[in-house]
Amino acid sequence: MNALNGQSENCAPQGPGDFCLTCLLSSGALLLAIGASFAYLDIEFGALFSHESAAGMGDFVVSFFPPDISPGLLYKTAYGALQTFAVAAIGTLLAALLGGLLALPAAGRLGAAPRQLARFALNLLRSVPELVWATLMVLAAGLGPFAGTLALALHTTGVLGRLFAEAIENAPPLAETSLRESGSGSAAAFFYGTLPLVWPQFIAYSLYRLEMNIRMAAVLGFVGAGGLGQMLYFHLSIFQQAQAATVLAAMLVLVLIVDGLSHLLRGRLAG
Amino acid sequence: MALVTHQLGLEHGNGLRALHGLELKLSIGERVAVIGPSGAGKTSLIRLLGCALRPTAGRLELFGANPWQLSAGDLRRLRTRIGTIHQAPPIPPRLRVITAVLAGRLGRWPAWKGLLSLLYPADISGAQQALARLDLADRLFDRCDRLSGGQLQRVGIARVLYQQPELILADEPVSALDPTLADAAVGQIVAEAEQRGATVLASLHAVDLALKWFPRVIGLRGGELAFDLPAAQVSREMLSELYASEGSVVPTQGNHPIALQAFGDGGEARVLRIDNSRGLG
Repeated sequence: MNALNGQSENCAPQGPGDFCLTCLLSSGALLLAIGASFAYLDIEFGALFSHESAAGMGDFVVSFFPPDISPGLLYKTAYGALQTFAVAAIGTLLAALLGGLLALPAAGRLGAAPRQLARFALNLLRSVPELVWATLMVLAAGLGPFAGTLALALHTTGVLGRLFAEAIENAPPLAETSLRESGSGSAAAFFYGTLPLVWPQFIAYSLYRLEMNIRMAAVLGFVGAGGLGQMLYFHLSIFQQAQAATVLAAMLVLVLIVDGLSHLLRGRLAG
Repeated sequence: MALVTHQLGLEHGNGLRALHGLELKLSIGERVAVIGPSGAGKTSLIRLLGCALRPTAGRLELFGANPWQLSAGDLRRLRTRIGTIHQAPPIPPRLRVITAVLAGRLGRWPAWKGLLSLLYPADISGAQQALARLDLADRLFDRCDRLSGGQLQRVGIARVLYQQPELILADEPVSALDPTLADAAVGQIVAEAEQRGATVLASLHAVDLALKWFPRVIGLRGGELAFDLPAAQVSREMLSELYASEGSVVPTQGNHPIALQAFGDGGEARVLRIDNSRGLG
């Protein structure tokens, strides 16, 4: 009780001085940076809405319809969709496992040096985009879904590991410390005290990344990592817009299904 | 001796003095209640005795050893002999009641047994017995966030009963329970201690509970010892002086005024005003 009283005093607002020259200045700087970005990038919204570009875009869109729904293509598309889903699911699962392993040292549970090392590894994994990983993995593992899975797993490990580590760091420590105060070992205390607090967040983050990885797995096909993306790239590059439209529709359906399922699961977890 | 302190003191980082110059001796099997107004240092004392906080002054000995001079392994073994009941049970809301209770023995179980028990409870009947003593056996497989505050507090007590520690520290263990349940819960803690010869030190908000169940009562005020007496020798004057900062109202539990005879000072029966805003969950 006394300890709490003492701590809360430190965060109490001291008065109008708290709000705040720094906030004003930083918002001003932010606005300035946004304005400067527009000027620097030379973005001309006018050209986008000009008559001929609108007509060009219209023609391009029309050429996609009607989509090709011949059974052969539908079968191939369904297979591609399954492959894309598998790439995303396995990639995310591997990433969740690896991320979970790296999150413990990254949250500082094993000391300062492992913390820095794990953070560095996670930052490295995260800062290389999936497409770049995919290109590297295609070189290493050859064309196909395996390369795509590895690429997604590597990048997502960086993302999930970081999120997991932050969830662990931000979890209220009392449950775990009280177990240690009754003599329990640190592993058991973590599994009984902290993991039940962060577990739902782990699942929610993983499902959210799965949704993103479905979309990313579709794109990865462009660099040869299999699935719907590879089909889309193939049909577009030989100007078969009708077939490409079928593939795009399949992507949309796949994304909608996975988003819906993941939303449902996350809703149930929250309850 | 289960517990000896010498000039024990605790000062928080911000210079706030929580405890000062505490001299305390508890022999093994003794039962002591700590009473005092809020902010008197009751929680700080329990955190110090439970080796959760390190004293900033003086010396603490538990079962003949200074915990802060022990190696990490010895400190861990010492801690398995101490069970702390917290006012707000530090139990993750998603844990099942049975898991929360079984966690009491994590210190004695090898790590693999603790981890396996997360998949399938290692000692269902043991947890059930501990819960049954607090009238909660039917909630064995419920999730803790489905329980009321009072039920959760009883789960916290069941965990420590299941732990079977040699020293039970309790920090307002029944603050969220109604008078009947509170009385029964304190009775169970006392019965457990008597049965196994364990030592108990409990801080209690309700003075009548302290006087009823504990042969020895310690009054804390402003972080210092106000008195340390057998329950029968605690007088009305001592109590009203102890609670002077709260308008000399001696907090009790229950909705009925309590006659002072119950306090054992042998004086005429007079009625005190009851503070209903606290002590009842």
